[in-house]
Amino acid sequence: MSAGSYLLRRVGGLLLVLLVTSFLVFGLLYLAPGSPLAFILGPRGGTPEQIAAVTEQYHLDDPFLVRYVAWLGDILHGDLGYSIVYRQDVSTLISGRVPTTLVLVSMAAVIIAVVGILAGTYAALRRGWSDQLTSTLAAVGLSTPSFVVGVALISIFAVTLGWFPTFGSGTGGIDTLHHLTLPAIALSVASAAYLARITRAAVLEESGREHVQTATVRGLAPRYIVRHHVLRNSLVPIVTVLGLTIATLIAGAVVVENVFALDGLGSLLVRAILQRDFAVVQAVILVLVVAFVVVNAVVDFLYTFIDPRIALGSRQ
Amino acid sequence: MFRRRITLTAAALAAASLALAGCTAQSTDQNADAALAVDFDNLVTTTESGTAPVDEVTWNLPYEPMSLDPQFGYNYAENTATANLCESLLRMKPDFSVEPGLASGVTQPDDTTVVYTIRDGVTFWDGTPLTVDDVVYSLDRQVGETATSYFSSYFQNVESVEATGPNEVTVKLTQPDVLFTQAMATAAGAIVQKAAAEAQGEAFGTPDGGLQCTGPFSLEAWNSGKSIELAANPAYWDGAPLASKLSFSFIADESTAVNALRTGEVDGQYFYLPPAGLSQLTDSDEVTVTFGDSLVFWTMMTTNFDGGLGDDRIRQALSLAIDREALTKVVFQGAGIPATTLAGPSYWGYEEEKFAKAFDGFSADPDIEEAKQLVAEAGTVAPIVLAVQGSSAVHEQTANVIQAAGQAIGLDIQTKVIPVEQFGNLYFDPAAREGIDGFFTTQYGSFADPTDVYQMFASTDSHNYAGWDHADDAIFAARAETDEAARADHVIDAQQTITDELPWLPLAYEPVTLVQNDRISGATASFAYLYAPWAATLGGVE
Repeated sequence: MSAGSYLLRRVGGLLLVLLVTSFLVFGLLYLAPGSPLAFILGPRGGTPEQIAAVTEQYHLDDPFLVRYVAWLGDILHGDLGYSIVYRQDVSTLISGRVPTTLVLVSMAAVIIAVVGILAGTYAALRRGWSDQLTSTLAAVGLSTPSFVVGVALISIFAVTLGWFPTFGSGTGGIDTLHHLTLPAIALSVASAAYLARITRAAVLEESGREHVQTATVRGLAPRYIVRHHVLRNSLVPIVTVLGLTIATLIAGAVVVENVFALDGLGSLLVRAILQRDFAVVQAVILVLVVAFVVVNAVVDFLYTFIDPRIALGSRQ
Repeated sequence: MFRRRITLTAAALAAASLALAGCTAQSTDQNADAALAVDFDNLVTTTESGTAPVDEVTWNLPYEPMSLDPQFGYNYAENTATANLCESLLRMKPDFSVEPGLASGVTQPDDTTVVYTIRDGVTFWDGTPLTVDDVVYSLDRQVGETATSYFSSYFQNVESVEATGPNEVTVKLTQPDVLFTQAMATAAGAIVQKAAAEAQGEAFGTPDGGLQCTGPFSLEAWNSGKSIELAANPAYWDGAPLASKLSFSFIADESTAVNALRTGEVDGQYFYLPPAGLSQLTDSDEVTVTFGDSLVFWTMMTTNFDGGLGDDRIRQALSLAIDREALTKVVFQGAGIPATTLAGPSYWGYEEEKFAKAFDGFSADPDIEEAKQLVAEAGTVAPIVLAVQGSSAVHEQTANVIQAAGQAIGLDIQTKVIPVEQFGNLYFDPAAREGIDGFFTTQYGSFADPTDVYQMFASTDSHNYAGWDHADDAIFAARAETDEAARADHVIDAQQTITDELPWLPLAYEPVTLVQNDRISGATASFAYLYAPWAATLGGVE
């Protein structure tokens, strides 16, 4: 399949997924108990007249389909809607938070890829006690919740040693990287451990394959064999897992965002769900779905580089 | 009026992560060495004024404000920020007494007419002078049945707000209302520029819009999700502040906030409940913790008078069985004072002797024998179901104390954990209160008058869910009584009924926990920080 038609198919699929998810999310929010009234009227509550006025103003009592279609119409006009809780445009709310999430997730992705692949390969090739050690560390990493890692990192590297700031996303550039280092590490520990185990298994499997044995018997340099025969062939499952992990990090970062007081999409989403701020929830979900599809498309492209036998968009 | 203050936002933020579970776990072992003894005698109202200019002060808010428009400023983070931006007609001093603010004078020709003389020479941040039109606009927008102001119940008796002279605004009331006149020293009486508010509409006071007020600091920038930046107003009529810049961060997670304070990344914060890890702050060499006089109290509300809590004697018995001393130690790490009435001594802004005498008639000491006696008299009691807010250590620990108290006198008390995102519905939705006999909440009156607290027991008040009406006459009489001695009698009368019958159980008075880095000083220590420019006296320490 050509890159052009592949892209076309992907975009078509994306639109369909967006439509279905937005409908589902809207429906679920609609069915769940609670309302944004508490957040609009404030801590004081409201008189019946005020409640009626606000309900009328924001169409809170309109039937589900009417609200959904109105929202869909706005989206088609490029209008992400209006946050009734924050009294501002959703596009402003989101655009302010995308950079933080982007940098955080990118940094975490790099850490996950580098640490996960290196540790997994090392464990698989060395075997023995270093394998034991890596596997044990991976098990610990997998089972430690990210907020525990975050709190521990803050108390060691921020409070005691003073190397990193305790919170916030910085003022841009190097400062942002500095601020997001600890959060990125906290975010990546479990995923890096997971990837290390996947890598170890994949490398072990490839090492036992006939073409590797043949290469070894023919006396090729071990380094060459590892790089060209073992690692290259193990990359397909590794890249698949890595792609899926990164896509889930965006929303999964909420816990880490909270511990480090970061203004990311994850915490915006969770707060919007709690506040029944429909427009914000929908918009963040749209961003997440787009990110998910884009990451997976990139993974698809990578497959064709890793293994030229795989055609773009094939079902293999 | 009622003040529900386990803030939905803050709580929702906290609940958004399991992190809270992580921090609350710490608090238990810290209780052991919490040797704090907070008492009315050692609560302060101010901290020593800063003496040196300081470039920038970073202050943390427990969550990001929803709005900076003062009419929507009815909660901790919002008021902490707006208090320095938008000034009110009257100014609440740190000791809760009131002095002239944007109104240089107030006269009441009769009980239903209030005349405000607007201060000369006050300008907005943009240089335009403050006019009577701005004052009329700021008040008038909060009047009426469908006004969206969070303070509209203070304006329920306002008939008209009119400019009656070049610098005179007259408010006509349909009936005398001491809550309206006193509320002018809170954010309800804050003045915004009419032109800016009208031009920006709904965006006024949000990150999209802006703000135009007269306070000692002006709003420079609001970076949604990140920070709010304030700059000193050099033309401030009451003297420019020492700090040239005041920026607010929004750290919701308590342990992160505590760490940021310990490392000096954040210079200060007001906590309305003591944070888990309080001892890390009191032990720190970097910061000073000050406990300030406050109007906040912790209470158990009865929402159903047909169930297990319906019989007065059961509520009285439960109240007698609660060890409030232990409660303040365990739940509030010592930073709390056992409450005997709902409106404590901090509310006595007038007729102090009368209130003190009435107060002495109540006791917070447990009496298990009498409690058992009352339960025996009441006969069979249905199980009592208390709603507990999920992921809140204060709620859960208080529920444990109450359950233990109930067990000691033979009451079956059950708890129902309600997720934080649905807890707010208890205040709005009768269906959400179905099957629930009571729940816990922090509350406060806005100013030092017990009338404001007991007003919420008026059967017409939107937070008197169960329609309890045994003190209506005294409550209505107090609100309409402009003579302080006579009003005190009415309030004491209402307080007697309320404290005897206990529709709500008073549990603890909560001081303000103010944390300041040692390089600065001068922030207002008392609850007045919510409504008066607390950072105007903030400066460097030499």
